[in-house]
Amino acid sequence: MEELISQLKENIIEVLNLEEMSPNDIDNDAPLFGEGLGLDSIDALELIVMMEKEYGIKLKNPAEGKEIFKSINVMAHYIDEHRTK
Amino acid sequence: MREPILITGMGIVSAIGLNVAETLASLKAERSGIGPLRHLKTTHHEFPVGEVQLTTDEMAERLNIPVGQPRTRTALMGMMALDQALNQAQLTTDDIARAALISGTTVGGMDMSEQFYTDFLTNDSHNDYISQHDCGACTESIADHAGSFDSVATLSTACSSAANAIINGVNDLRCGRHEIAVVGGSECITKFHLNGFNSLMILDHETCRPFDETRAGLNLGEGAAFLILETASSAHRRGVKPLAVIEGYGNACDAFHQTASSPEGEGAFLAMKEALTDAGLTPADIDYVNAHGTGTPNNDSSESHAMIRLFGDAMPPVSSTKSFTGHTTSASGSIEAVICLLALQEQFLPVNLGWQNQMPDGITPVIDQTPLHPLRHVLCNSFGFGGNDSSLVLGLADSTPSLTVREGAECVESAENTLSTESAPFIKGRAGGESSVYLTAATQISIQEGLSEAWIETPIIYDEPYVRSLDINFKQWISPAESRRMGKLLKRALASSLSAMQKSGMEHPDAVITGTGLGCIENTEILLTHLCEEGEENCKPTPFMQSTHNTISSLVSINTHSHAYNATYAHKEASFDCALEDAWRQMLLGRIRSALIGGQDEMTPMYFGLLCKTGYLGNPGQVAGEAAVSVMLCTEPTPEALCKMTYFKRCYRPTAETLGTVAAEVGQVDAVMTSVSGTGAVTESHLREAARLFPSTPLLQFKSIFGESYSAYGLGIYATAHVLHRQHLPEAMLIPSYGRPSSLRRILVLNQISGKDYTFAILEI
Repeated sequence: MEELISQLKENIIEVLNLEEMSPNDIDNDAPLFGEGLGLDSIDALELIVMMEKEYGIKLKNPAEGKEIFKSINVMAHYIDEHRTK
Repeated sequence: MREPILITGMGIVSAIGLNVAETLASLKAERSGIGPLRHLKTTHHEFPVGEVQLTTDEMAERLNIPVGQPRTRTALMGMMALDQALNQAQLTTDDIARAALISGTTVGGMDMSEQFYTDFLTNDSHNDYISQHDCGACTESIADHAGSFDSVATLSTACSSAANAIINGVNDLRCGRHEIAVVGGSECITKFHLNGFNSLMILDHETCRPFDETRAGLNLGEGAAFLILETASSAHRRGVKPLAVIEGYGNACDAFHQTASSPEGEGAFLAMKEALTDAGLTPADIDYVNAHGTGTPNNDSSESHAMIRLFGDAMPPVSSTKSFTGHTTSASGSIEAVICLLALQEQFLPVNLGWQNQMPDGITPVIDQTPLHPLRHVLCNSFGFGGNDSSLVLGLADSTPSLTVREGAECVESAENTLSTESAPFIKGRAGGESSVYLTAATQISIQEGLSEAWIETPIIYDEPYVRSLDINFKQWISPAESRRMGKLLKRALASSLSAMQKSGMEHPDAVITGTGLGCIENTEILLTHLCEEGEENCKPTPFMQSTHNTISSLVSINTHSHAYNATYAHKEASFDCALEDAWRQMLLGRIRSALIGGQDEMTPMYFGLLCKTGYLGNPGQVAGEAAVSVMLCTEPTPEALCKMTYFKRCYRPTAETLGTVAAEVGQVDAVMTSVSGTGAVTESHLREAARLFPSTPLLQFKSIFGESYSAYGLGIYATAHVLHRQHLPEAMLIPSYGRPSSLRRILVLNQISGKDYTFAILEI
């Protein structure tokens, strides 16, 4: 799980172009949207593409993302359970 | 009293018919054109679409386009709709020669670019299509098919493009520039935007259900529609019967998000409200609303809120006819205006197909065609990405008492007092016919030092054929959080805009108008490359969102929280010129007092290579550059104002006589700032032509310093303004054997494009 979390953070930084951040700056339990990282709906769509490409997880409805992208921990657990690659 | 603007012709092509009669029959029979994909070559067959029934080749055949001549689906559909409209209005070749054509598109020639992209990069088999790619080329193809229009322009505000083309046609007539304006839009479905919309997850896998609680997105459609707008006096003189009246319009920016509408529908509300005010009507006068109603959860909720705010409990009948046609994107504004016109003529309500379940906070759309009251005034909504929201009010032709034109007869009894054929008494605008506007600030980020006028004393002179922009430190203008998704062009455009606003002390101009030939072409390239190399899976939303031309203008309004008028023109090397013309018209009309005009283009190595193949770039002595230029225009001078603009005109394929007339209007100037670049044959011929039009007048150049780009004319205006203000002319602007100005007080900035498109603007101090 540790390894997945650190890889996930690096993926997020790259996909969302968070140039100013390093994995250590992202709190595992902080919300990704709104407060915390302050991501928006386009970022959520970018994360959905990333989940499909990197982990083979396909979301049909963007609303599902809301629950999954609550925090790094929630996201990592979801990926761990559903990944196909 | 303002002279009414009539509609005297219409033409339409969409999934529900190839002409007006077929469209009407489908609407009456409640027959949707949405179904499985037939023509587009894509792997995404899971999405229903509203395709026009003909193949591209069948369209070309119907239009007698010679085999082997480049054709794009968007241009062909536009030609089909335009032919119908011109026929109905009985416009002659001479009428066309004194008319404007304003068309809206975003996709342009993308259907062919995506097909031949690999060929463009690796061989010369389809070079003809490179210059068909951009939106302006598409409009020119449509225009040239019909005849020789007096001026041609392309609006590109995503899904409200055609509505904004109509609005600018109305302004063109209201300010007396033309008596006839042909307006509309065209857009075909492409793999590019099907995948783009898919990456935004707003495509429904089933038939769309606008305003239904279970709605899950839009179905893409395609088509074209054109309207002939005409002043009442012109229609009267030609003895043609009006089909309807354009009573008013509104344009506002939601200023919320690039791809989502605000929850309360602020932009939509303001656009509808402004349209009613412009038409002199109250909400109670509206008998039907053709909603934007895309079927996405976000749009239909936001639009419902806006309509409830405007109409309260007295909601008129509302429907989204996208349930028939699919979302015809850039063409939807004119396609739905034609549908509104049919509703008025035939006195029926186009229904909202597929609606079953009430949204808790939504409107209840029309499901019965029979109106409870006669239809006199209808409202037509078109909203685009970036919050480019526009609304039109159309009225019955005979609801205006002075317009009872007898069919076939040459005169009208009651109209004599109001319908003068004399020039423009109806300009309600500015006192005393004042027609100068002031350039209160002008800034640039280009191949010279950015946000600086160092080039006046020490210009950097390049001898490479292609130079990238010298970027500034953007952190001063844009926070890292804001800028992380922005491409270079967006950063340059925003920084130069903010700098112009700051320098002019005008934080909230009445209009934000942008010209861009290609938009953020870097992003277009990313998505095209992905589609070619990786196929149609895992497309990212950001490149698609930023490839839309109006993303630049919207960014400025979103960043400055401005709900003011917002528009984007994508008309090749005349993109900035079109934006300037829009502001000039609205200032003449007294509609706005200030406008931020942008000219924004980037040049990637890939696109530079392609444009060398077309002969536009890579010519002897020519430097291809990049431009992010912002000019603040105000009707009142400020202490810091650089100069004023006292004359503006654009002409398309002018005759020698027309050019002579314009030159006479221009009169004596100290110099002509030409648009020549390099030393090739084109430069020689443009200089000879300019010298013929303005004999004994020194000719100057600015591209020797700023390079060539689609927005370069903006740099010409910028540079001339600063030369006049500083009273200093860099030596690099002189052209050997074409003279040296003896004073710098009045300069014509001339754009000569491919010997067919011309812009004339006089700047003076």
